Amino acid sequence: MDWFRELLSRCTAVLRRGRLDDDLEHEVESHIELAIEENMGRGMTRAQARTAALRVFGGVTQVKESYRAQRGVPFVISFGRDLRYAVRRLRSSPAFTTVAIVTLALGIGANTAIFTLVEGFLLRSLPVSDPARLYRIGDRNTCCYYDNFESPDGDFDMFSYELFQRLRQAAPEFEQLAAVQAGGGGYSVQYASAAPRPLRYEFVSGNYFSTLGVGAYLGRPLGESDDHPGAPPVLVLSYAAWETEFGRDPAIVGATVYVQRHPFTVAGVAPPGFFGDRIASIPPDFWMPLSAEIEIEGQNAAVTQKTTAWLYALGRLRPGTEIPVLEGKLSAVVRQWMLQWPAFTAHGGSKTIPRQHVVLARAGGGIQKLQQQSGANLRMLMILSCVVLLIACANIASLLLARSTAQRTDVAVRMALGAARFTIIRQIMTESLLLSVAGGLAGLGVAWFGAHAILTLAYPEAHHMPLKADPSWPVLGFAFLVSLLTGVVFSTAPAWASSHAQPAEALRGTNTASRDRSSLPQRMLVILQLAMSVILLSSTFLLTRSLMNLEHQNFGIETTRRYTFDVDLQGAGYSFDRVPSLYRQVEERLGALPGITNVSFARYIPLGGNQWGTCVSLQGQSEQGPEDKCFSDWDRVSAQFLDSLSVPIVRGRGFTARDNDSSLPVAVVNQAFVRKFFPGQDPIGKHFGREGAKYSSTYEIVGVFADFVLTDPRAEPRSLFLLPSTQRFTGYREPESDAAEKSSMFLNSVILKVVGSSPDVEMPVRKALAEIDPSLPIFRFVSYDSVVAGNFNQERLIARLTSAFGFLSLILASVGLYGVMSYIVARRTSEIGIRMAIGASRALIVRMVVRGALVQLCLGLALGVPASLFMGRLMTSLLFHVRGSDPRALAGAAAVLGVCAAVAALVPALRAASLDPVRALRTE
Amino acid sequence: MPDSKSDVLQGTLDLMILKTLESMGALHGYGIARRIEQVSSDTLSLNQGTIYPALLRLEQRKWIKAEWGTSDTGRRAKFYSLTRIGRKQIAAEEENWSRIVETMARFLSPSN
Repeated sequence: MDWFRELLSRCTAVLRRGRLDDDLEHEVESHIELAIEENMGRGMTRAQARTAALRVFGGVTQVKESYRAQRGVPFVISFGRDLRYAVRRLRSSPAFTTVAIVTLALGIGANTAIFTLVEGFLLRSLPVSDPARLYRIGDRNTCCYYDNFESPDGDFDMFSYELFQRLRQAAPEFEQLAAVQAGGGGYSVQYASAAPRPLRYEFVSGNYFSTLGVGAYLGRPLGESDDHPGAPPVLVLSYAAWETEFGRDPAIVGATVYVQRHPFTVAGVAPPGFFGDRIASIPPDFWMPLSAEIEIEGQNAAVTQKTTAWLYALGRLRPGTEIPVLEGKLSAVVRQWMLQWPAFTAHGGSKTIPRQHVVLARAGGGIQKLQQQSGANLRMLMILSCVVLLIACANIASLLLARSTAQRTDVAVRMALGAARFTIIRQIMTESLLLSVAGGLAGLGVAWFGAHAILTLAYPEAHHMPLKADPSWPVLGFAFLVSLLTGVVFSTAPAWASSHAQPAEALRGTNTASRDRSSLPQRMLVILQLAMSVILLSSTFLLTRSLMNLEHQNFGIETTRRYTFDVDLQGAGYSFDRVPSLYRQVEERLGALPGITNVSFARYIPLGGNQWGTCVSLQGQSEQGPEDKCFSDWDRVSAQFLDSLSVPIVRGRGFTARDNDSSLPVAVVNQAFVRKFFPGQDPIGKHFGREGAKYSSTYEIVGVFADFVLTDPRAEPRSLFLLPSTQRFTGYREPESDAAEKSSMFLNSVILKVVGSSPDVEMPVRKALAEIDPSLPIFRFVSYDSVVAGNFNQERLIARLTSAFGFLSLILASVGLYGVMSYIVARRTSEIGIRMAIGASRALIVRMVVRGALVQLCLGLALGVPASLFMGRLMTSLLFHVRGSDPRALAGAAAVLGVCAAVAALVPALRAASLDPVRALRTE
Repeated sequence: MPDSKSDVLQGTLDLMILKTLESMGALHGYGIARRIEQVSSDTLSLNQGTIYPALLRLEQRKWIKAEWGTSDTGRRAKFYSLTRIGRKQIAAEEENWSRIVETMARFLSPSN
C-alpha cells in the first residue's frame, strides 16, 4: 500500500510541479530564517547567523534536487528532459532536421496514400449487413448484353432474367438471390418544374435491398411486390443523389418523377453510405425494379427476352454451404436450360454446352469490376512506393550515421564528464523518435493530399464515388508504426556506435583518416539507394514510353479541332421516326454557324468508351454456329461521320442523302471487316446481315473505309461496319429484332469539325440547338482530344506518379552520394594534403575521389539492373508496345543516374583538389 | 552520488522524525532538525536539509501530514504532524529497528 500511495502522489506531483517548487522554495526559506533567528539570539550578527545557518543546512541546490527526485516520476521527468534536449538539438541544425523530416514525409506519405487507396479498393467490404456471406454466381465481368455463349472456356457469369429465375429456384442454399444489371447507363429524370437531368440508373430485382440487408433512410426500399409486370413503377434514390440532385427534399418521397418521360413514384431514399453492389466511379443515382424496364424500353426490354443475358446474380449463402457442390449443381442448371434454346443448341452449339459452367465468387467487397481494372496498377504502385520508402529510410539512416559521426567529439566530452552510456543512447533515440514522429505527421499530410489528388486524376469524371481518400484508422496506425520503426531501427546503430566511442581518442582529435572503414555502412546504404533508383527510373522510362505509345499511336481518326457532345433524344421525347429530320435540321443549322465545317451524328463515337457488336451472317453462308468467328462491331452514323473525323474511303463510296428508307439498305465496312469476312475478295456489292442467316442479304456493301480504333486503344482495330442514319431496315419479323432496329436509330453523339481555333463554339451551338428544340438536353460538351485523353487517365496517372517517385529517388540518392563523398573528403583532408605536398596533381586528386564514387555507382547498377528487369517482367501487362526488358529504359536510367552521381561526386572532388596543402596538413 | 550511505541513514532518519513528532506534536522542519540534533547530543552530524526529502517520503506514504502555519516567533512555516496511519506505523518501524540493532550487536559483540 505504501508504495502505491507513494506512486500516486508522485504522479499527481508531476502535474503540479510549478506550485510544489514554490512551496519547497518557501519552506527552505523559512527554515533558514528560523535558523538565523535562533543564531542571532545566541549573539551572532545577521551575516554570521546566515552563514552558520546555511552551513548547517547543507547544499540548498542538492537538497532541492533530491527532494524533486523523491517527488516526481523519474522516467517521465527524464523523458521530458530528453525531449526538450532533442528539440533544442534539432533546432540547432535546421538543415539536417528539414531534410530528414521531408524525406520521411515523402517516403511515408507516398506509402500511406497508396495504401489508403489499396484498402479502399481491394480490402474494404460493401456497407451492407454481414458482407462475408455474400456470393456472386460468376467471377468474370462480362458486360452488358449477350445473346450467346459468353467465353471460350465456358465460364458463364451473366444471365437472362429467365435463367436467373431458374437458378433462384434451384438453389435454396441461397437465403436470397438478387439480380442486378451488369451495365447500366443514364436516363433523364425530371422532378416538379425543374429541367430534366441525366441520372445513372441500375435495374435490380425486387429482393435486392433485402438480400443486401439494406433498409431505407426515408420511405421504403424496393420490395418483391414492386417487381412484377404491371406493378406501379417505383424507384429508390441513392442518398448522394437525393442530397445533391434534389436538395434533400423530403417531399420527393411518394412524389412522381419522370424517367425518360415515364411517371415513377419515388418509394424511398437509400441510407447514407450505401452506394450499391460495386465500387464504381459513377455509382447509380437510383434503382428500379427489373419489371420497370418494360415501362421504359417497351418491346426492346431485355427483361422480356428469354435468352438475352444482362444480369449478375448476387446472393446471401446459408452458413455451411459447400461451394464446389453448389457450383456443380448450378452449372448443371445452366446447361439444362441451354438445351431448350436454339440460340445455344443450333449450328454446332450443342457441342459447347457441356463446357458451360459457373464459378461462385465472394462478393463481400462488391462485384469486383473496378478492382479488376485498377488492381494491377495499384499493386504496382504499392511496390514502387515501398521502394521509395526504402530509399527514404536509407537516406535517413545515412543522415543519422553522418550526424552521429559529426557528434562523436561532443559525445566524448559528455562521457568524459561522466554521462552514462545509457543516457547517451536514450538521448540519441529520443531525438530520432522525435524526428520520425514529426516526419510521420508531415507524411500524413502528404498522404491525405496525395490520395485525394490520385483519385481526382484517376477518375476525373467520378461523381459521388464511394471511395474515400481519407486514411482510415488502420492505415493511420500502419503509417505511425512505419515511421516509429524507421526512427528506432535507423537510430539504434548510430546510437550504439557513438556511445562506444573512446572518449580519450575522440578528444585527441583523431578525426582524420586515409582508408578507414568507418564510412562503410554509409557507402553500402548509398549503393542500395542507387540500385533502387535504377528500378524507379527504368520503371519511369517504361511507363512514360508506354503512355506515349498509347497516346500518340495512329488511331486512324483526326481529333484536333473536333468537338463532341451528347444529346438525349429519347429523354426529350423523340420517337424513332422523328429523329432523321431532327438530324438533318441540326446538321444544317450548326453547319451554317461560322467556323464549323462539318457536323455529324453517331450512335457511338470512336474512343468514347462504348460499342455495340453483333454476329454477322454472310449471304450464301449457312447459319453461324457459336464456334464460328462471326462477331463484328457496328455503329450507326450520319453521312458526314467519316468526313468529320477525316477517315478516308479506300474503295467504293460513303453514305449519301440518297441512302434512305426508299432505297436499298447499304453498309460501309472497314478494312479489318474485309480481311475477316472477305479475304482476297472484292467486298463491294457483297451482302451480309444481322439477326441470323435468313437476313443475310439485308445490306449491300457499297464502300470500304480505312481502319480506325473504335474502343480499345491497346488492340488492333476490329472489324466494323457502319449503317446510315437515314435508313431503317423494316424487314425484321421478330418484334424484338424490330424494336432493337428502331432503338438503334437514336444517335446521341454529335461531332463538330471547326476551322482554325474557334475557342468558343459551345455557346453558339447551344443557342442554335435551343432554337431548334429548347427541351433537348445537351451533355458533356468537350474537345475530341480530351475524349481521347480520357482513355488514358489511369495510364497517365501511373506514369506521372512513377515519374514523381523516380525523380524523388534520384534526388535522394544524389544527396546521399554527395553526403558520403563530402564526408570521405573531409575525413581524408590531411591525407590529401600529404599527397599534394609530395607532388600529386589536382587532376589526380579529382580522379581519386571520383573513382570512389564510380565504384559505388557501378555496384548500384550491378544490383539495380537485374532488379529492374524483374520489375519490368511484373509490369509487362501494363505496357503498350514496349518490352519490360527494353534496353533503352535501362540505359536511360543508368545515364541519368550516372550524370547525377558524377555531379554529386565532382563537387566534393573539386573541393578536395582546391585544398591548400599547407592548410590541409595542419587540419586536425 | 553516495547513495549507499544515505540509504541506511534514511531509514534511521524516518524513525527519528516519527518519534520526534510523536513526542513533540506538530512541528516545522527546522524544529524537527534541531530536536534531532539535541536528542543525539550533536553526536550525529546531520545536514539539516536532508530531512526534507525524508519528510516528503513520509508525507507521500500518508504517515505524516503538512500544513502551513505560524511559528512562535510569528514566522510562516510548514508544520508536520503524525497521521493515524503514521501512529500505527511507529510500532512497526520501532520493532524493525530493534531487530537491526540486535543483529548489529551480535556482529559487534567480542564473542563473535
